[in-house]
Amino acid sequence: MISGLVVASAIYALEAHELVYGAVGLAISLIGVAGLFVLLGADYLAIFQVAVYVGAVVVLIMFTIMLVRRERGEPLEVEEPIRLGRAGIYVAVMVALAVAAAMVLIVPVSVEAPEFYRPPIRELASSLSASHAVALVVLGFLIVATVVGGLTLAKVEREERSGGAA
Amino acid sequence: MTGLLALPTLHDILGFVLRIITSRTFLEVIIFPGFLNVMLGAAFLTWFERKVIARVQLRIGPLYAGMSGILQPIADGVKLMFKEMIFPELADMKLLMACALGLMLVAAAPVIVIPFGEGWVIANMDAGLIFVFAVISLFPSLILLIGWGSNSKYSFLGALRSLFQQVAYEIPMWLSVLGIVMLTGTLNLTEIVLAQQRVWFIVPQILGFAVFFTAVLAELERIPFDLPEAETELVMGWMTELSGVAFMLGFLAMYTKLYLMSALITALFLGGWSGPSILPQPVWFLIKTFLVAAVIVIIRGTFPRVRVDILLRAGWSKLLLIALANVFVTVIIIWLGFGSMWGI
Amino acid sequence: MGLDAWSLVLIFEVVVFLSMFPLLVFGWLMGARGRDPIRDAPFESGQPRMGEARRRYMMQYYPYLIMFVAFDVVTMFLFTWGLAFSAMPFAQGYLFIIFLVVLVGPLSYALYLSGKRELW
Repeated sequence: MISGLVVASAIYALEAHELVYGAVGLAISLIGVAGLFVLLGADYLAIFQVAVYVGAVVVLIMFTIMLVRRERGEPLEVEEPIRLGRAGIYVAVMVALAVAAAMVLIVPVSVEAPEFYRPPIRELASSLSASHAVALVVLGFLIVATVVGGLTLAKVEREERSGGAA
Repeated sequence: MTGLLALPTLHDILGFVLRIITSRTFLEVIIFPGFLNVMLGAAFLTWFERKVIARVQLRIGPLYAGMSGILQPIADGVKLMFKEMIFPELADMKLLMACALGLMLVAAAPVIVIPFGEGWVIANMDAGLIFVFAVISLFPSLILLIGWGSNSKYSFLGALRSLFQQVAYEIPMWLSVLGIVMLTGTLNLTEIVLAQQRVWFIVPQILGFAVFFTAVLAELERIPFDLPEAETELVMGWMTELSGVAFMLGFLAMYTKLYLMSALITALFLGGWSGPSILPQPVWFLIKTFLVAAVIVIIRGTFPRVRVDILLRAGWSKLLLIALANVFVTVIIIWLGFGSMWGI
Repeated sequence: MGLDAWSLVLIFEVVVFLSMFPLLVFGWLMGARGRDPIRDAPFESGQPRMGEARRRYMMQYYPYLIMFVAFDVVTMFLFTWGLAFSAMPFAQGYLFIIFLVVLVGPLSYALYLSGKRELW
């Protein structure tokens, strides 16, 4: 049911004529993904998913959509996408759904979600930082690099603007 | 009930409903510390603020509705419900109404994990603390949508300022409680309160408290950070074009946030429900919460407003660094062995 | 009733929704009248409406948003670390500290520079 919501809102996000509605559809889809995480027993991950994706990324996307204009001063409009690509996506989704339905019906699988191991958060944190510490540090530095890069770009743009004016 | 097709008797239905109503869960969710608590608390705070601000400004505040104006919130609510919801011609009505509703949904959500007493929680989530933060991070997008959907320069600009303000202070807010997390090793709010039985966290985490309190003021868009509202400049900022019930929802959401954030501060830094047993635990919790709210309200009447670029820079640089300094202090505390006071 | 945390979240949100939505409907029914150009104009403190509402305001603060996304993720990792901090042997703890220092150092320098030279 939740996966249905995820797929449905994703499709809506692609099809919406107003780009902002597309962003809203994306947000709903991501919240749905968090719901899936919860069903799979990953509470911690689900919450961070919401916080990071819906809280930050969606905001970024919406901000960009709302502030970017075409030269004529009109809001961004969605052009009619290539017929073939669109049809292709729908076909793929249909096939996936059909396969899933077939699997559920033909093979007698119990509908009950299996009991996933839900580790207590502290244990999770412990093992994560212990065995994957190096990966975490590298990721952290990568992110800092992103930030510095972004700031540098902003600085360059600013200088160009003021340099041109002078 | 005999067999799937037999309809349950009236007796069965009544029994079922009665069992639900008297169940502890129902009590918690609906009444305390749930829905009724939130609604009453938020409504009370609207009266409370008007009275306190009035006194600070040498006025009296609401006076006529009930004793000392205490029924004023009800009068306001009824009035707003009967007003026509006027929206600008090119504004997106459905979006605005939906987002106003969303604001209330999001503002009320933290109460689910905040413990008002030992065992008085709706859902004792192990990841409670970050649940609250994730919920708070949903506000900027809602505000953006309302500001943009209003199709009005004032509203949109207010929404943008609000967005940048909240975004700038969310990170220091998160980091300032990292110290508490390190000292207790848990994100469960009940456990965090329990860990403070000897010393409240405001003592070892004084830096964290300062940062958190400031960040909460910014998140609540209250003075000295109320530029998005800026009554003399932008009218009501992103809420300018909301009217009638839509406005009521937004307005109520603001005070719900105030109430619940004060409660969160109490739980995190002021020992939650701890206090001598002459009074029951929830009462202590409420006392402390309203003290925090009172301080926030008094600050509103006392401080001038901060300029937007100073505000943003202060949040990103100074507050962030103080929060990180707090983490370092916490590290030292733990390594010196004092962690045992809080259960490490 | 043995309900787990997330079901309660759902139930509570449904309760809030069910209590707020009728208010909206009520307000909508109470007020629905014809559209009137003067009444429907966006609020501009009495002036007639001028200019398109949606322009490129505050674009110069865009880097702040990018930083926010990055720091959101960093904070997530810091929390993971912090949770397990007291149970970690010293060696791991040092890694955490070093990470923080490397984070703080260049960052504060960058922010200081930007403040000095009035960047963004």
